[in-house]
This record gives sequence, structure tokens and C-alpha cells, in this order.
Amino acid sequence: MSPQKSRRDFIRNLGISGAAANLVLALPSLGWDVEGQKKQRVIFVFSPNGVIPKHFWPDEEGETFELKRILEPLAPYKDQLLTLRGIDNRIKGDGDGHMRGIGCLLTGVELFPGDVQGGSDTPAGWSMGISIDQHLKNQLQTDVATRTRFGSLEFGVMVPDRADTWTRWSYAGPNQPVAPISDPYQMFNKLYGNIQNRVMLASVLDDLSEDFKKIEKMVSSEDRQIFQQHVDLVRAVELELKSELQQAKDKQAADSTPAPTDHAVPQLPPNVQEQNDNMPLISRMQTDLMVNSLMSDFTRVATMQITNSVGNPRMRWLDIDEGHHTISHEPDSNEDAYEQLIKINTWYSEQVAYMAKKLKETPEPGGDGNMLDHTTIIWTNELGKGNSHTRNSIPFVMVGGGLGFKTGRSLNFGNQPHNRLLLSINEAMGHPEKTFGNPDYCGDGPLTGLT
Amino acid sequence: MKLLPSRERGEHFQGSAAFRLSRKIRVKLLKRSSLQQLHCMLTAIESIKTSFFRSFSRTFCSVRRGSCLPSLVPICLIAWSPNLSLLSAAPPAAGIEEETETRSGPPKKPHDQQLVELGSQIYKQSCQRCHGKSGQGSKDHYERALVGDLSLGSLTKLIGRTMPEEDPDACVGDDAAAVAAYIHASFYSEAARVRNRPPRVALSRLTGQQLRQSIADLYGHFNKPPATSDQRGVKASYYNGTSRKSEELRIDRIDRVIDFDFGAEPPGEGIDPKSYLIHWEGSLKVDRTGRYQIVLRSTCSCMMDFGGRNRELIDNHVQSEGRDEFRRDIYLTAGRAYPFEISFLQRKRKTKQPPARISLAWIPPGGNESLIPTQNLIPEQLADSFPLQAKLPPDDRSYGYDRGTSVSRQWDESTTVTAIEFAEIVIAELYSKYRHRYRNEADDNRSVLRRFIAEIVAVAFRGKLDDAARQLYVDRPITLSEDDGDAIRRAMLLALKSPRFLYPMLDAHHNRSQRTANRLTLVMFDSLPSDSWIVNSAAKDKLQNEAQLTNAARRMVDDYRTQAKVLTFLNEWLGIQTTDEIIKDKERFPEFDANTVQDLKRSMDRFLQDLMESETSDFRQLMQADWCYTTKRLEQYYGAAWRSQTPETPPTTKLETDASQASNTKASNGVIETTLTRSVQNREIHAGVLTHPLIMSHLAYHRTTSPIHRGVFLTRRTLGRVLRPPDASFTPLSPDLHPELTTRERVQLQTGEINCQSCHQQINSLGFALEQFDATGRFRRKEKNKQINAAGSYTQRNGKRVEFNGARELADYLTQSEDCHRAFVESAFEHFVKQPIAAYGTETADEITESFKESGYNIRELLVTIAVIASRQPPDQ
Repeated sequence: MSPQKSRRDFIRNLGISGAAANLVLALPSLGWDVEGQKKQRVIFVFSPNGVIPKHFWPDEEGETFELKRILEPLAPYKDQLLTLRGIDNRIKGDGDGHMRGIGCLLTGVELFPGDVQGGSDTPAGWSMGISIDQHLKNQLQTDVATRTRFGSLEFGVMVPDRADTWTRWSYAGPNQPVAPISDPYQMFNKLYGNIQNRVMLASVLDDLSEDFKKIEKMVSSEDRQIFQQHVDLVRAVELELKSELQQAKDKQAADSTPAPTDHAVPQLPPNVQEQNDNMPLISRMQTDLMVNSLMSDFTRVATMQITNSVGNPRMRWLDIDEGHHTISHEPDSNEDAYEQLIKINTWYSEQVAYMAKKLKETPEPGGDGNMLDHTTIIWTNELGKGNSHTRNSIPFVMVGGGLGFKTGRSLNFGNQPHNRLLLSINEAMGHPEKTFGNPDYCGDGPLTGLT
Repeated sequence: MKLLPSRERGEHFQGSAAFRLSRKIRVKLLKRSSLQQLHCMLTAIESIKTSFFRSFSRTFCSVRRGSCLPSLVPICLIAWSPNLSLLSAAPPAAGIEEETETRSGPPKKPHDQQLVELGSQIYKQSCQRCHGKSGQGSKDHYERALVGDLSLGSLTKLIGRTMPEEDPDACVGDDAAAVAAYIHASFYSEAARVRNRPPRVALSRLTGQQLRQSIADLYGHFNKPPATSDQRGVKASYYNGTSRKSEELRIDRIDRVIDFDFGAEPPGEGIDPKSYLIHWEGSLKVDRTGRYQIVLRSTCSCMMDFGGRNRELIDNHVQSEGRDEFRRDIYLTAGRAYPFEISFLQRKRKTKQPPARISLAWIPPGGNESLIPTQNLIPEQLADSFPLQAKLPPDDRSYGYDRGTSVSRQWDESTTVTAIEFAEIVIAELYSKYRHRYRNEADDNRSVLRRFIAEIVAVAFRGKLDDAARQLYVDRPITLSEDDGDAIRRAMLLALKSPRFLYPMLDAHHNRSQRTANRLTLVMFDSLPSDSWIVNSAAKDKLQNEAQLTNAARRMVDDYRTQAKVLTFLNEWLGIQTTDEIIKDKERFPEFDANTVQDLKRSMDRFLQDLMESETSDFRQLMQADWCYTTKRLEQYYGAAWRSQTPETPPTTKLETDASQASNTKASNGVIETTLTRSVQNREIHAGVLTHPLIMSHLAYHRTTSPIHRGVFLTRRTLGRVLRPPDASFTPLSPDLHPELTTRERVQLQTGEINCQSCHQQINSLGFALEQFDATGRFRRKEKNKQINAAGSYTQRNGKRVEFNGARELADYLTQSEDCHRAFVESAFEHFVKQPIAAYGTETADEITESFKESGYNIRELLVTIAVIASRQPPDQ
């Protein structure tokens, strides 16, 4: 029997209509797409300062498990959830726990010697290697079938405006940190600036035509020629622009693929400043922009870095006035702090849940199911637990079907180096490697039991 | 058909008889056609004193009064290539690839030229009575002017079929073709009409350079006005420990350049070598527009802001092993000083510290990597400045200077890109500062934003906004955009694409002072009035009389913006503006390399800048100076006359700093630094720019000199004489074919033909005077073991012949030559004003030349005169 090429073939063989299939069978994504090649996306989400493990990790392993308080916001996506306990960031060398916590998280390799001194350990510089998001970008961009406009997008939420080992987790290569974009308007310009500008230009040229007529009266008859040429040129550009924009709209209306027009451009609330209290709003704006850019297939790899290693936002909207990092150093016996840390982490969890919600609500463009079926969100953290600075059992929580892992499970790997997880991600994205980062931690290859 | 009265018919018959006679003349003409005749004819055309052939490039693009048909004249690439460096880069033996045609025999008289001449005679005899002398028509016979857009072929057919009206058979075939050719070329076609128009001030859009400068000043309007400074170097503060506490400040001084290798040693007394901070601040003075690369090397943590406070260029807050070189490409605008600051930190740590090294280098446009020279560093942070990064298409240069007289799609797109780029910096820097300044003000109806946009648009439009303009350019964008940033984007796009901004002279609706200010800033700065003093003078209408105007122009002449424009002009006048590469035969001149050329460029620029900054800015020094700026490398190559005049004592100019450091040093970071010093005097070898090796090597071939290139340069640029292009293109004779001949002999051999001599007599005799400077500009007395013959001569406009021997005598002649003064005045005027000088009155060139002479050939005064003449405005109606 020949393998079934697509989900549509599969459904046709079942003898029911495609439209009814979802309803009748409540099918999960089975790893097929119209073109026979499934579109895969991966998003890495960072939150800082560790978690409260007791209220984070499910007690049970396997397919039957209870979500703890912090993960409760992800309940609606439980069947697409995968919690991965027992994965350690084992990278040693220069840099304190926070620095290695963020700097080695996606790279799996040591930091260069340098002069940034943390609270303990030795000083360090930047990472010695590329991070997995940038590595995946490079792989995807070499293949025409998976190449996108940007290859990867690096979002930030309230990442401080300074470049140091604590504020960077994405690296294009050794000593090449990639700065996340924390200003939603700046990201908007990067994504839609050209289109927005063309739409604006069309309307501006329209406005200018009257003034051109007025000015023309000041031009002597001998000089009319150059001026008339200019007027004709402006008119021609205006007409072309209008027809270009109209065509794009028509195309979008016709085949429902998002075209690069004003319609595909999300609306951002105006004049939002990058200030602590605007953090929830900025997080929403960035998530909306990310989902939109994934929908438009601007990229298939994205990172969302919420604050930074030792990030210290004051979550006044949760009635918490002290900064997150400060609180995270409190012993577990400090009940207030303990409770606050649960609340803070729950808020981060809500951000992931919002992202999952947006993806789930959006039908997969040109494919089946919704976007979450084709996307895996990997939410992670610099530390396992804040006050101990441990990098054992780093929080790794996956939501969605992008990597094709078997979801709806709670797993415990019992102290495996996180390089192996990075290898698994590479493999799931179709680019298996023997090693990633420091080969010493890649010995047994990708993790088993994920698929 | 309407019958003509007999009398008229008779006249036409008479005309026809004359007409037939003319055919005889034609045959005679054809028989007598000879080379001499061709030359007489062309010389006659030249004697019309057309300025058409003034520059080679003009022959292709422009159509001016009195020209013959340019496209019909073949081009000799020996002396007419606009890109000499291309030629000098190619070995002459290999021939010239661009060459269009090579022939050995004498060229024939162009057929079309004969036709036009014949047509002219037929026209005079048979057509002129009704159509007028130049086709303007006559009241009694045919009133309408003979103008139209028929092709030459259609016109020929029409004439053959219908003319003369009473006897269409009288003018057919070749005769009709001749008449058509004549009237088409002389007044019928659009090209001919343009050519015949008297010179006038043509409407121009902003050129690329003007757009760049206008944007820079539009930004600058919201800052302190651009300042100048006599000091050079970088202000340095050395701190013990890594914070800038005043009590820990140990050294406060001016460093000439940034180039240090402290290793593990303390950078100064009282500083802990394990923990210190050095803070440098200053401004980068940029004299040429173009793409630069800033190269900062640092083994320790370092940060660099550039262009504006907090405008980060390099962020190496984290020192990380192996990451110690930072390169940033940036397009910079001439005449601007970009403030910068650098922090360099050696941080204490548990682990081993790297040895501390730092250097600040650059790659200027068309140059090599070198430390940023002291000359370009100012030890204070001047006002923030915005360098536009958008790529702008080159402007038309067919008249020898940039002109904004055409529009293209590419240009239109570049104005869009410019507006978008500018809007972002306005939002990020200007508006946020503005909002901060007025943070305590009530902001009803977004009044702060409204006032901000109104101010910036008014500066862009060079004058007050009327209500309609305010409504369109200020209110509407705000109404349409809820977000302040979007409102600014829309407003900038509108304003910077508006004809009110793009056409600086469409300002008839402004008052007299404003119009004057608009022209003054355009002539002097290539920009718009944005400094508060001139904005205020215009608003208060205080630029009315000649004295006010002259004062304003004087105030502008020492500005960096004007200085940069002068430097560009002098480079253009010397034909070296685009000399990026000069490559010579490696076997013959092994030590002449790109570094030599870079030193030569710096030597030339410095000489020109010093001259302009000197009290007298005496034009004659351009030819008279018996010294030049030199470096160790130049001395090694060019010999004793290039020795530094004062190697041990402090230099004489105000710009030279600490002389004890003034030597070539091998920098710690591998970048060579070369310091410019004045050379010893030598009247024979140094004749100002005339014998400067940058010019001499540019005007030479790969292995040998080119007296023809040098002669054409002297004839056209220095003496302002008209040369027609040669009749055919020629490959220069290969030196290898005539190993026994000197260059002078070889050139004489090739241009000895009688038909070459009419021009080459003049060209060669000038070029030969510079034969003592070889293909790299090195002085020599012998070539091929023969004594060099540097005797030359020149026949002036007034017919008087002068003789000179060698460069010094030539320089002495040029210094007092009226032809030379006038040529310089005309070039300066056209470069600064970007309009033909004759458009400002037929006597203007003479008047300015006279006042130039009276001022003691003061170039700064010349610029003031030019600016005043070009900016004068009639009183308001």
C-alpha cells in the first residue's frame, strides 16, 4: 500500500467530506499538509528567574495527569501539551548561573571568557556557539520549500535596552548575540513598514496632486516641461500603487491567503510606551504581531524573550510591587514571596496560553486544522528554581503540534542534558544532527520517547 | 491649386535660377572638399565661441547654441575620455577597448555637414524671403514660425513635395534634403530651439547633494546650529576604576588620535591597571560625501555613540574573548561634524585580563583603512547631526556641474525613501525631545504635535506656511493618524515629496528677504535656511540691501558646509573628484601603491583646505606654492624635495597639533598612521597643484606620461579654452614600437598631421611643459637617457603667443593669465550656483573676474561675490 500523501487523501479514503471530517472525527493534526509537506513552526518563549517546581510540574507521569496552579492557564490545550521534567542545563565554564542560564539555554555551549561579572563565579562574555533558533533558521532558509522572508523573528517584551550576557539568548554564531526587538512599533515597521508606507504613499500622492496644481501656476512657461514631467510621474506612480494595492486586496479576497496588504496588517493600539506598567499590553501586542507574521509565513521560527535573565519587572497589575528577581531570592519559607512567585509564573503561563489561543483560533493558511496544529511553543526558563539557582530540571513545556511529538503527556527524563532536547528539536524539524552545542552532552543523541 | 500673381511667380522663377546656380556651387564645393576646408569650416564653427564643446561630456547630452551636430563628430578617446583613470590603468600597448574607430588616413568631411551648408545657401536664396532669416516667418508672406516635430525624413518629403509653394518641382531630391537638414538643425526641431534659447536661470529640483544637505539642516534646525572649531584631536578623560567619578579622574587631555596599546600597564599615573575607564569624546569632521567604514578595535569592553547623544553605533558592553573588531558602514555628508563618544573599560575580574588595546580607524570613500587622522577630529561634541543613508541617483552633469533639471522614476523613488528614513529619526529623536521640552504644557487637540510638525514643514518649505498649506501638510496628517508616529510619517512623506520642498526657487509667494535667504543657503551650503539667525533675518525681512546680503554671505563663507563645497569644487576644477584609483605599472613603479595615492589625496586636500582657511585665500597660490604637504612615505618615493620642512620643531599651521608625536608610527593595532607636514621649498619641483603628483599621475598613462591629457586639462580647465573633439578616434602609439623616441617625440609623430595640428599645436605645447614629471608625478630630468625638453607655448585669446620652459614658468604664466582667472571664475560660479553664468547677465563674468582681481584673487571673497549676485532678489511687488 502506498503511503497516503495528504490529510485530504486520507479523508477521501475514509469516504467522508473534508469539511465534515473535523467534526466527525475531531482529528488531530496527523502530520500531513496539502502539498505533502507539513508546514512546521517553532516558537521559543523565555521567562526569567526559575519557577516554584511544586506548583509547576505535574505529580503524575504519562497521559493522565493533573495541571498544577502555574500551568492551569494551559488547561484548554492539555491534549496538545507536553511537560518535560528532568532536563538539565549542564553547561559549565565562565559566567554565573544566570548568565549560563540564559546564554547556554538555546546554544548548549559555554560562554567565552570576558569581563561581565555576575554575583558569583567567574566573569564571561558571549556564547561560543549558535543558538538553536538561528541554526534552524539557517537550515530552513537553504531550502526553497521552507525559505521565508525573515527566516526567524526575535521578539522581546520589556528587554532592557542594553546588550549583555543577561539580555541575550539568541546567537547567530560565536560572539554574535542577536538583539530582540522589544518595541512593538519597531517590530511592526520591520514586518509591515514597506506595505504600510506604500499604502500611506498612495494616499499622500493623492493629497499632493491638488498642491501640485497650485504650485504649477508659479512655474514660468519655459519651465513647465520639467514640472509637467514631474506631475505626470507622480500621477503614474499613484495609479500604479492604487492598482497594486487593489490587486492584492482582490487576491486576498479570492483565495483567502493573507496578502501583504493593509488587511493583513494588524492594528496596534497607538502611543504605547515601553514602560513597566504597559508590560501586559506590550506582551499582547508582540504576540499578535508574532501570530500575524507566522500566518503570513514571514517566518517559521520565532523567539519571545519576556524580560531577561535576572529580569525584575514589577507586576503591579497583580498587586506585586517588588521586582520579580528580588522576590525570587526569598527562601521558600517566606510565604508571601512564595505565593507571589506562583502568581508571577502563572502570569507568564497566561502569556503562553494567550499565544496558544491565538494560534488555535487561526485556521492554518492553505492547510488543514488551525495554526497551533502546525506550531510548537516551547516555553522555557533560565533556572529550575529561583532561590537555589539550580539549572537542573529546567522548565520545558511544549504546546502544539509543530514538532509532531506525542502530546497530552507529562514526562520525566531524570537528569538528561538539555543538548539532547535541542537535538530532538532539530530532528523533529527535519534536520537531524549528531551534536549540537558541546558534543560532550550529546552522547546519546536525541531524547527518546517524545514521538 | 491657387495660382500666384505673375509678378510673384516671376520672382520665384528668379529664385529658382539662383537655386540652380547653387547647385553648381554645390558641385564645386564637393570637388574642392579637402581637409583644409574641413578644418576651416570647423574652426569657423569654433569661432562662434560656442561653449558647447567646453566639456567632453556635454557633446553627448546637451544642446546649446551654435553647436554643429555633435553626434556626427567621431570622438578621439586619446584626449577626450572623461574617465582618465580608466585609460591610465590600461597599458597603452593593449590599445583602448572603448575606442570606436581607428583609421590612419585623413578623415573625410562629414556628408551631413555638407548638406547643412548647402541647405543654408538654398534657404537664403529661396526660402528666407517668406520664412524669415531664422524661420521666424514674415508678416507679408508667411507669419507662422517654422517649428515642429517632424522627423528629418518627413520634413524632407514635405519640402520636396510642396516647396517652394509656387514651384514645388524646383526643390526636390538632394536639394530638399539639404534644406530640410539645414532648417531641422538650425531652428525647426525642438533640439535646435532649445539650443537657440538664450541662457537663463532654469527651474531646478534639488540635486542629490542639495537634498542630502537640506535634510541634514532640517534635522539641525532643532539643535544648536552647526559650529566650527580650530582645535583638533579627541578629548580624553582617564579614570581610576570603572565609573566616571570626578574624584577618580586622573588625566584630562587631548589625544591626537585614538591608538593605544596599554597591555597590562596602567594607562597613566595613579590608575589601577586592573580597573580603569577611558572616555573619549569629540566630533568627526567629514569633508567628502560618501560611504565610510568606521573601524573600532578594542580588546576590552567599549561602547561608541555616533552622530547624536545616545545614538549607539557600537555596543561592546560585554568584553568577550575573540570579539575585538567592530566595523560599521555609514554614509556621511560632507561639511558636517558628527559628535561621538567612546567608553573603554578594563574591568577587574577573578580571571586573567586581556591586554588592553584600542584604536579608531576608518576607510574613507575610495580610500584605504587608516587611523582617523587628527585633522578630522575635533575635541568637543558639536551639535547632533543626521546623516541620510538613502541612496540617491546621480544627477545630470552634462554641463560640468550637477543640475536638477530632469526627473526620473528612480529619483522619485529616492525621495520617498528619503522621507521615510527621515521620518523615523524625527520620531525617535526630534519629536521625543520636543515633547519632553513642552511636557508641562497643556496638549489640547494635540497642539504640541501640531506645532512641531508646523515648524518642521515651514523650514522644509523655506518660509511661512499659509492657511491652505497648513491645512494640507499639518492638520490633515494629524487628523488621519491617531498615532503620533504615524502622523509624523505621513506629514514627512507629504512635505518632502512636495514641490514646495523639492523646487527651492518656486518661492515667489515669500518676501524678498526669504527668497534671498533661500538662494544664499542654496549657493553656499547646497541647503535651506535653518540656522536661527538666517531664519530670523528672513522672517524680519532683513536681507534687503546689498550690504545685508554681503554680510550674510560673509558669515556663511567660513562654515564647514561652504568649506566642503569649496573642496568639492576645487577637486572638480582639477578633474580629480572621482579619482578613486590610480594604478601604475608595477614593474616600472613598484613602490607607487594605493597607500601612496591615499597620502597624495590627503596632501592635496590639506593643501586646498589650508589655502581656503588662510587669511588671503589667494588663488595664485594654487600655482605658485613652492611646497606641499608631505608624509614619510611620500618623501621616500618622491625624494628630497618632499622632505618635511620642520621634522623636529612644531609645525607652522594652527591645525597641526603636538609635533613630538608628529611622525609616522606603526600603530599598535596594525593600522598605519601618517602625519602630514609641510615639505621643504623647491621652486622647480613644486608649482602648487599644477605639479602635484595626484594631478600628474592622473593625467598620465600606465607607464608613460601623457602630454595630450595634460595639455587638454590645461587648455580646457585651467585656461577655459574651447576644444572641439577630434575628427576620429586614435589609439596612442605604443612606446614599444618606438623604443628610441621620447614621449614628446612620439606624441609629435602621431599628431604631426596637418589636420591634427590645429588643436594639437595648442594642446601639446602646453602639455610638454610638464614633461619633467613622470607617470607618477616624480620629477625627472631625463627620459631614455635624453635630456627632457620641457619647452612650451600658448597662444592667448587675444592672439598673443607666450613661451615658457618647464612647470615653474608655466605656473608663473598661468598665475597672471586673464584667461586662467576668467576660467576659474566661471567654473566657480557654475559649481556654486548650478546655473549658467550668462543667465545672470552677459557682463557678469567680466565683472566678477575684475572684482576677483581687485580682491587680490581672494577665493573666499569671490564666493561672497558669487553668492550675492546669484541671490539678489527684486523688491516685493
